[in-house]
Amino acid sequence: MVDVNKRIDVDYMARTEGEAAIRIELEDQPAIVLKIFEPPRFFEGFLAGRRFDEVGDIVSRICGICPVSHMSTAILAIEKAMQIRVSEQTGILRNLMCSSQIAASHLIHLYMLAMPDYYGKNSITELLPDFQKQTDRLIKMKEILNGLTGLIGGRALHPVTFLPGGFTKIPEQKDFDKILKQFKEIQKDAKEVVLDISRFKVPDFYFKTEYVCLDKKDGYAIDEGRIISDDGLNISVDDYYDHFEESEVDYAFAKRSRIKGRNYFMVGALARINLKYDKLQTETKKMAKEIGFAVPNYNPYLNNLAQSLEVFDLIQHCIKILETNKFKHEDYSVKIKEGDGGAMTEAPRGLLYHWYKIDSKGIVAKANIITPTSHNFLNIEESLKKMVKENLNKPRNDIRLMAEMLVRAYDPCFSCSVH
Amino acid sequence: MGAVDITYCQMLQSGGIEEGPFDVALIEGAITEEWQAEQLKKVRSVSKFLVPIGSCAVCGGIPAIKNTSKKAKEMEQKVYKDISNLTSLETRPIDQIVKVDGYVKGCPMGERDLTELVISLLLNKQPDFLEYCVCVECKLKNNICVLVAYNEPCMGPVTNAGCNALCPSNNRACYSCWGPIRDSNAKALANQFTKMKLSSDDIFRKFTEFGQPTKEFEAGVK
Repeated sequence: MVDVNKRIDVDYMARTEGEAAIRIELEDQPAIVLKIFEPPRFFEGFLAGRRFDEVGDIVSRICGICPVSHMSTAILAIEKAMQIRVSEQTGILRNLMCSSQIAASHLIHLYMLAMPDYYGKNSITELLPDFQKQTDRLIKMKEILNGLTGLIGGRALHPVTFLPGGFTKIPEQKDFDKILKQFKEIQKDAKEVVLDISRFKVPDFYFKTEYVCLDKKDGYAIDEGRIISDDGLNISVDDYYDHFEESEVDYAFAKRSRIKGRNYFMVGALARINLKYDKLQTETKKMAKEIGFAVPNYNPYLNNLAQSLEVFDLIQHCIKILETNKFKHEDYSVKIKEGDGGAMTEAPRGLLYHWYKIDSKGIVAKANIITPTSHNFLNIEESLKKMVKENLNKPRNDIRLMAEMLVRAYDPCFSCSVH
Repeated sequence: MGAVDITYCQMLQSGGIEEGPFDVALIEGAITEEWQAEQLKKVRSVSKFLVPIGSCAVCGGIPAIKNTSKKAKEMEQKVYKDISNLTSLETRPIDQIVKVDGYVKGCPMGERDLTELVISLLLNKQPDFLEYCVCVECKLKNNICVLVAYNEPCMGPVTNAGCNALCPSNNRACYSCWGPIRDSNAKALANQFTKMKLSSDDIFRKFTEFGQPTKEFEAGVK
């Protein structure tokens, strides 16, 4: 019999995207179950039979926070399958959309989902009026970041201009100029974001894991590159299935991913900053130094701080692109061709993989989607186990809160993970 | 917070009062499990007003595409090897389970209608939701009709407005993410698509992307 006094149940993980519960057995070797009860929507099932050019619009609905990630990963995979080549400009515009979406998503997570814990509050509304300045900053920055995603995409959530082959409409230069000006204005706000998050009193915790992310020669890879890790992994996205495997568990509708022959690994902002620190903007590295953040860092709670550095970095990155590029209308027509292909991008929460098989009429025959939270699933459970074990002497409520904060630090998206 | 207090919303806050009572319950998402239907009925019984927000809740939305699968188990097996613990039902919008007091349409839901709802509830007046098709918005914007002029299979004539004719304004056909407009003539639009040489499969896909469980779009599929 399980002793109920030795168990902590979080029946509904608040302030995360989607529905999940945690069960912790407070034994010498703690047992952890991350019960993702978010019901399945069967995207991979019903995508079979849909047209290739509907897929982006459909998969963007997997998530209301990272629709651009799903859309761009799916479209890249379909282009790979159908051997469609896109222009350099299309790649740049997509990168701007992905970058602005990641920064916007991070801000929501940092201020609305993570921050209340660090001040003993239940929500951002409870932080008011003391945190009025931070809340205003969040809203202002979110609007401007969404403004860029929306300018290119037609709207920030579930963009419409974004199709296999290219963009249906290119915004006018004066609109790009206007948004560039706004981005320059929020540079100093981004600095404040890093400082806000650096004030979090993060639990002292060490969890050695394998960090995995996308990497390319020049620049901070977001939507292209090879899969690398700090444990020697360096593979093409085409070889994804040779190195990663997913399995089903009976307590969650999300699947759990691991690296074949190895174990858990971590994706997301902390993995990216750890592995690609050198490729951050000079100003970002200066900022990291200022707050005393150094790599390698193995405290998953600090994923929040890594996110704040990315907010700062990606805003700089967008400014540089907007300053050095002019955009014009281009042909985006495509020819239907049979084939299969997969693609990977860095979603806000980490590596996202889509794979499609397209038939000769342009209809999806098979689909597979593996999300960041599936990649992190095992790592979340294992790091929880270690954290609980090290804190067994603490009051139950403290353990409970530290467990919730740890799960939240990953910025998991349970709805994405089930899809 | 002032005029509006959020008493229960797990995505936004820890804790909260799950059992109500609520002046207003805003419901997002479609119903695909029996436990969700039971929870929804409970929420209805303790709420003065209940309004579905967003296409999934209003008309089934994207998750309702799965209803088109003739063999549900086969479709489930494309996702899971072991389907023994699945209890998924046909996707239903909120109004097929409980009485609703209006709809905030759109995917993502329309800001204008949400604001209209909240203000109306505060002022105790009937909300004035947009109830006309996307074509009206195109005319107001002086858009060239993508259906008539460019032969694009546009769902605008049968789709509820609210997006400010977003897709036609961006050189593409509306794909109906706001869901059907009441009393739409889906049959006539489907006939037009046939004339434009769309296959029956293509027409089927058009009318099942966002409104599968609705009777309005059923007419388009037939």
